[in-house]
Amino acid sequence: MSTAAPGVLRTTLGTLLSHYRRHPGQLLMLLLGLWIASALWSGVQAINASARESYARAEALFSADLDRIARRDGAALSLDDYLALRRAGLPVSPIIEGELSLPDGESLALIGIEPLSLPGGAPLAQQDGDADSLRNWLIPPYRVRVAPDSLAKARTLEGLPPLEIDPDLPPATLVTDIAVAARLLNMDRHITRLVIAPERDVELPSAFVRTSTDALASPGQLADSFHLNLTAMGLLALVVGLFIVHAALGLALEQRLGLLRTLRALGVPARTLILALGLELLLMGLTGALLGIVSGVILAQLLLPDVAATLDALYETTVSGTLNLPWYYWLGGVAITLGGLFSAGASMLWRAARVNVLALGQAQAWRARLRSQLRLQLLFGAALLVGATCLWWYLASTGGQQDLALGFALVALLLLGAALCLPPLLAGLLGLLARYLPRRAALLQWSVADLQLQLPQLSLAMMALLLALSANLGVGSMVGGFRLTFLDWLDQRLLADLYVRPSMEQFEDLESWLQERSEVATLLPTRSTEAELIENDVNVGPVALFGIAPEPILRRHWPLLDTLEDREAAWSALNQGAIFINEQLARRQGLAPGDTLQLKSPASLITLRVAAIYPDYGNPRGEIVLPVSRLATEFKAPSGTLGVVLAPTEDRAQTLERLQNALRQRFLLTGEGTDGTPLIDQQALKQMATEVFERTFAITRALNALTLGVAGLALLTTLLAQAEARRAQVAPLWALGVSRSRLVLLQIGQLVMACLGTALLAIPLGLLLTGTLVAVINVAAFGWRLPLHVFPGQIAMTVALAVMVAILAALIPAWRLWRVPPRQLLQEFAAA
Amino acid sequence: MLQLSGITKTYPTPQGPLKVLDDVDLTLGAGESLALMGESGSGKSTLLHLAAGLDLPDEGSVHLGGQRLSILSETKRAALRRDRLGLVFQQFHLVPSLSVRDNLTLQARLAGREDDAWTEHLLTRLGLADFAARYPEQLSGGQQQRLAIGRALAPKPRLLLADEPTGNLDEATAAQVLDLLQALIDESGCALLMVTHSARVAAPMQRHLVLKRGKLMDAVL
Amino acid sequence: MKRLLAISLLFIVMLVIGWQFWPDEPPSTTSYAGLGESSGDFRQALPGTALTFPKDHGPHPDYRIEWWYLTGNLVAEDGRRFGVQWTLFRQAMAPSNPQQDASETPWTSRQLWMAHAALSTPERHHFSERFARGGVGQAGVKTEPFDAWIDNWSLRAADDTAGFERLKVTAQGEDFGYRLALEAEGPLVRHGKQGFSQKSADGQGSMYYSQPFFQVTGEVRVDNEPVAVTGRAWLDREWSSQLLGATQSGWDWFSLHLDSGAKLMAFRLRGAGDDENGESYLSGSWITPEGEVTPLELEDLRLTPLEYQSVAGRDIPVHWRVQVHAHELDVEVRARHPDQWMGTSFPYWEGMVEVSGSNEGEGYLEMTGYADK
Repeated sequence: MSTAAPGVLRTTLGTLLSHYRRHPGQLLMLLLGLWIASALWSGVQAINASARESYARAEALFSADLDRIARRDGAALSLDDYLALRRAGLPVSPIIEGELSLPDGESLALIGIEPLSLPGGAPLAQQDGDADSLRNWLIPPYRVRVAPDSLAKARTLEGLPPLEIDPDLPPATLVTDIAVAARLLNMDRHITRLVIAPERDVELPSAFVRTSTDALASPGQLADSFHLNLTAMGLLALVVGLFIVHAALGLALEQRLGLLRTLRALGVPARTLILALGLELLLMGLTGALLGIVSGVILAQLLLPDVAATLDALYETTVSGTLNLPWYYWLGGVAITLGGLFSAGASMLWRAARVNVLALGQAQAWRARLRSQLRLQLLFGAALLVGATCLWWYLASTGGQQDLALGFALVALLLLGAALCLPPLLAGLLGLLARYLPRRAALLQWSVADLQLQLPQLSLAMMALLLALSANLGVGSMVGGFRLTFLDWLDQRLLADLYVRPSMEQFEDLESWLQERSEVATLLPTRSTEAELIENDVNVGPVALFGIAPEPILRRHWPLLDTLEDREAAWSALNQGAIFINEQLARRQGLAPGDTLQLKSPASLITLRVAAIYPDYGNPRGEIVLPVSRLATEFKAPSGTLGVVLAPTEDRAQTLERLQNALRQRFLLTGEGTDGTPLIDQQALKQMATEVFERTFAITRALNALTLGVAGLALLTTLLAQAEARRAQVAPLWALGVSRSRLVLLQIGQLVMACLGTALLAIPLGLLLTGTLVAVINVAAFGWRLPLHVFPGQIAMTVALAVMVAILAALIPAWRLWRVPPRQLLQEFAAA
Repeated sequence: MLQLSGITKTYPTPQGPLKVLDDVDLTLGAGESLALMGESGSGKSTLLHLAAGLDLPDEGSVHLGGQRLSILSETKRAALRRDRLGLVFQQFHLVPSLSVRDNLTLQARLAGREDDAWTEHLLTRLGLADFAARYPEQLSGGQQQRLAIGRALAPKPRLLLADEPTGNLDEATAAQVLDLLQALIDESGCALLMVTHSARVAAPMQRHLVLKRGKLMDAVL
Repeated sequence: MKRLLAISLLFIVMLVIGWQFWPDEPPSTTSYAGLGESSGDFRQALPGTALTFPKDHGPHPDYRIEWWYLTGNLVAEDGRRFGVQWTLFRQAMAPSNPQQDASETPWTSRQLWMAHAALSTPERHHFSERFARGGVGQAGVKTEPFDAWIDNWSLRAADDTAGFERLKVTAQGEDFGYRLALEAEGPLVRHGKQGFSQKSADGQGSMYYSQPFFQVTGEVRVDNEPVAVTGRAWLDREWSSQLLGATQSGWDWFSLHLDSGAKLMAFRLRGAGDDENGESYLSGSWITPEGEVTPLELEDLRLTPLEYQSVAGRDIPVHWRVQVHAHELDVEVRARHPDQWMGTSFPYWEGMVEVSGSNEGEGYLEMTGYADK
């Protein structure tokens, strides 16, 4: 480059940017697109990053590193158990855990540890420290450690030892010495659990069972699919936002093509021009990213309490209610925005680089170019759809455990392919329409022809709308289908009217007392434990065992997905030693009815035949169902829950109330809350499950609605950006005697037509998406498959939404057209 | 100053290749003015583009200020253009988003040769002093072309290439613009190569050539 | 005795290891100085304090620090030499509070316990350590019958009727273990002035007595191979509230069984004080086969390192000359092998030695404070 290059670059950049001074609307639209794309994406990522950070802190604490030891009889552990094991030479460590209620009704987890016996390999034990801090920890007034984000809450508690900050602790968790925890939680000689370093291979006394740390799936793993869903939503929003950016950039380039040529003629080298355009993009990108990330964080802060509540309900993981963002989050947000911007701007740079200086002032053969572009889009879109079909076929043929990433790739291929095909399809539709319109309907004919002319400008916004509409329909149908299936399944699984969980000592008394009551029709005892699953002589890890009583009522209702012969045969088989497995286990291990699996029971290795597969929504683990008696004898499972089915009665509520009162008085059982209490009303249980369900998808739906809004915005900005040009096109009509109100109606009608066409395409696409979600994504993410439900109401809603978006988006430009003084129209007519 | 020798240029057309320029030689000395005439499509503009280094000939060579254009990189040619040449187009090609003053100084700024006194002088001479803060769309056609001429002269080029500078103007305005152009050229001592189809416009030039079927010959006014 | 110093260091380091959290407030005093200087409300070891048994076999929680320290030299039937160590340390983190806090739980305790066990084979060295808080019963010491334990390690009366003269000891590490019966063939030995052992020139000290006359039978286990052994053991008991002197860098401590039947306890406290170089504090006890004790002063005792070897990255004197002129003792004391390093939280060298020269014999040597190279 010549020596004058910096001056050239500066002048060029200034000249290019002056375009936005004259067209602030375009700049606004560009920034809006960037802002929205980056805001939604960063919002979702902020939630994910914050949650992951919470998980990392939780995992760093204990769960990922220490095995747990419990009493085989299910009784609570005490100091004596600890001493017995220590005196037997077992390097166990006691932990006391509980909840401290805050004045505001929330609660904090309190963990009391015994630092001297806590395995040294645990991360907790590897931090720095010195003698003074240990002494402070072990003797009055003691210390309590708390994460900075929970400090304020901890301060509201009275009677705590002095607080110390530990940023590595999970949120809403206090860690202190076991002596303090025992006092605050009134534990006396009780302890919550015993832990042992996983590498310590020791012989446990038979009264104790050990649960490996591997079996305690980490919260991060469990919630991964939830976050993946969020990420996919964020990605969708990002793509939709980038569509806006692309449209704005395309427009800005189109209007500056002449300027680019002039600059080239005046002696600006092509390279300098591209550099200046690149710098312009960078400037926009940084501004957009900054705006986006700031509002993304605000959005995340609004959504986070809901997310935290959902995750807590679903996976019992604690996620901080306040954002905690690592440095890479900020960097990542800027990177993804810039990356998105440059991918959207690449075509602009490419075209700018190939500007033909000699074409100064030449008109473009746009029609031919448009046609070839449409053909290319159709080709490319079709290729993507073929790819999607192949992937679907591949995923269907692999059957069992599927790769979630592949599932999302399938969704991406499907959506992108369909989006690319949309403009050629719309063009074709309009072409057909134009051919078959009656020649007398001149105005109608004009509007179809005019719509064809607008298509290149509108197509990106339409593609965004298509994506948003089909995502809306797809997710809506999936959630709706899930709700139907799930509620049905809840009804089938929760057969008893009341669930009683007595202590070991009370169990037999209570059982026989219940059996004698006339209002009780059937008792459904359950037990649960776990055993090692052996596959090809390899221990593949622990699997949950669930014991049920195969009473007639259960045999009638218990849902089964697949059996070797029929339901009756399956139940007989269960009574004769076969097992049922849940769908998750079946998919994970590739098991079908008739197959066998091996379990390591306390006594021996036993081989079991699978009689049936049952659906088990909401359970992340593989599970095996056996008769409860077998679980007690062969697997030494502790007593569990008693399901009480009431005899048919006219006043279920009153009978239940009476029974609960009797249980409370006679066995001192209480039944408030829902978790861990010995009495649970079936209705309460169902209500809780439904609430959890609704919450799970609340955020998905919120993001979905936002995406739809963004698509509408894309349409609006596209229309606004070309409003001026449009006026020049309608001015002749006005001059020919079409009233302005007619023109306004025509314009709205055109857009409604385009959106309707888009919606019609969105319906099959949305249904395909639903199919993918229930048959591929859900299977990969959760291990279960849902039946596909189609909701006509939802489809109608989608179409209505499209029309509404069209009207809303067309309203502002139309209103502006309506307000344009005739003199201006006249000028534009002259200019045209 | 400008020397074209043995220039041949062919364009593909639907009817087959069209030889627009056929072994054309042309020399223009410093301070000379030359009118290049010919009918539409005769290749006048192509010749101008080649002289400006916007395009390269199939055969022959173009020397501008002693440098052979075809062996320079695109960047060097662009630098040469902004340093030595002034370009005036029939369509003005003003930058709509820049003010009159910014438009006027655009090329001078690109060339790193902005001269405030010269700018003021130009504004006054062009009759645009009162419009300096306006935008091109707020000017009349004649004013716009005057501005375009001013932009080309602002960096004090050695050679002004003008392509039908009055093609878009009515006769009276065209005459005014031409007079002004001629006066400014005389003032600055810059050479002028003007493409026009009008004998009246060509008349004040020192030399007159005409392009016919790709060949260059002396014109008889 | 210098082991007092060792112990306090040990405790400090144990605190560090066992410890998981870093302090929020700036440390008020350095740990060493804190332990060394202010003994505050702890009871002090004073000359004239009478020892009474079996009460004094048990813990003295009013003193800051205390230990039960057993070392043994063993031999297998095939002649292989083994050494064992079994040590239980107690440290009070604060003076006990006369007003018991109403909010105390079973876990509340001001006492910390730590134990080291080691087994030296002719070629190798195995060791292990344990920690526990007091109060809960995971570790402690009782008298009548005597029982000192932490987890499943114990040193206790052979049966309910046995006194301190018949004990059994057991400990297990990951790759070793031992189970030994001890039978005392002589009386308890009070060091210094009737059990008050001075530790530095300014008169501070500890209560210190030993049982050096144990005969041992039992079994050691290395890599799951049981080996029957017999031999001799030496048990030290010491408590104090005075820990480190600021200038003290470490110590060398000898407990030697001489073939004449006499025993020698000797230590050199490096940097403590008043020998001819003004650098070290020397002290010891000459014990006759009958258990009569002669305290040894600086001028009676000469301890000279002869050879250093590199062990665990430090230069350690594994070969010594020990002279007690009054008793015509001039011997060389040599580690049976240099690799008897205790890589515990507070690392030190402790191992079996052989004695040759004017008198043959064997014993144990402990060396601390040799700096990392």
